[in-house]
Amino acid sequence: MGREVAETCMEGMIFEMVSTYSTRFYATKPELAARRIEAIGYQVGLQLSERYTTERPRFSDHLEAIKFICKDFWSELFNKQIDNLRTNHRGTFVLQDNRFRWLTRVRINSLPKKMDASQHDPSAPTPDNKTAQATSMHLYFPCGIIRGALSNLGIPCAVSADISNLPACEINYIL
Amino acid sequence: MANTACFIIVSRNDIPIYEAEVGSAPKEEAAHQHQFILHAALDIVQDLAWTTSAMFLKAVERFNDLVVSVYVTAGHTRLMLLHDSRNEDGIKSFFQEVHELYIKILLNPLYLSGSRITSSHFDTKVRALARKYL
Repeated sequence: MGREVAETCMEGMIFEMVSTYSTRFYATKPELAARRIEAIGYQVGLQLSERYTTERPRFSDHLEAIKFICKDFWSELFNKQIDNLRTNHRGTFVLQDNRFRWLTRVRINSLPKKMDASQHDPSAPTPDNKTAQATSMHLYFPCGIIRGALSNLGIPCAVSADISNLPACEINYIL
Repeated sequence: MANTACFIIVSRNDIPIYEAEVGSAPKEEAAHQHQFILHAALDIVQDLAWTTSAMFLKAVERFNDLVVSVYVTAGHTRLMLLHDSRNEDGIKSFFQEVHELYIKILLNPLYLSGSRITSSHFDTKVRALARKYL
């Protein structure tokens, strides 16, 4: 169970999956596309968490399981650990990754907006809006993976992600 | 070499997903009794599983001269074996190998987690492992 593939192949496949679901399968219903992508991530997370926990002893409580996600699970997936873990001790955890690998290829659109009165069309979505929407589609897969992994370890939760400053990425989960 | 052995895999929702009589001299009339003993041991396993972080819980219960040994995975799937041998290392290796096989079944994208394992390939391999280790 230890064959390897190039990382670019993985990234290419994930990009293609997100774009296929967004543009071909559910072009008019982005919410459904998001749910399908998240469901794929859920199953992958289940399988991965089962696979990566064979060698180590089991977890005695929630915190240990979450630390496992931050350290071992993340380093298996992305070759690095989570940079920052915060909690409010009442069930909400925030994971922060300062350089989320799967989003490093996304270009940050920093062109100045041209306010030309003759061409300005207020009803069309602004370029920033569309970029943000497209990028957020890519976050459903990792959110699904984390939700699947935690569910398999016995912690049902809701996961959401936030990309206010690329390439950093914050993931919140609420138990 | 064990004369009687019954092996079941119970998912996290307490649904048995795989059962097999793997002893070398299977007795037909005792087969349902073996199942009954294993299911009755589930309560004890539940309590014991939270007290330790090891995967292999050794003998959790005795019935006449049969012993129930249990192996719990991180996803709370329980592999339970009813046997009359005392070969603990062999049983531990058996559980570890079946765990690997179980993960391979899980990796199948068409396998719904928590449903019965119907693969005959898995069945053959488990019986071969039982002959080898028990």
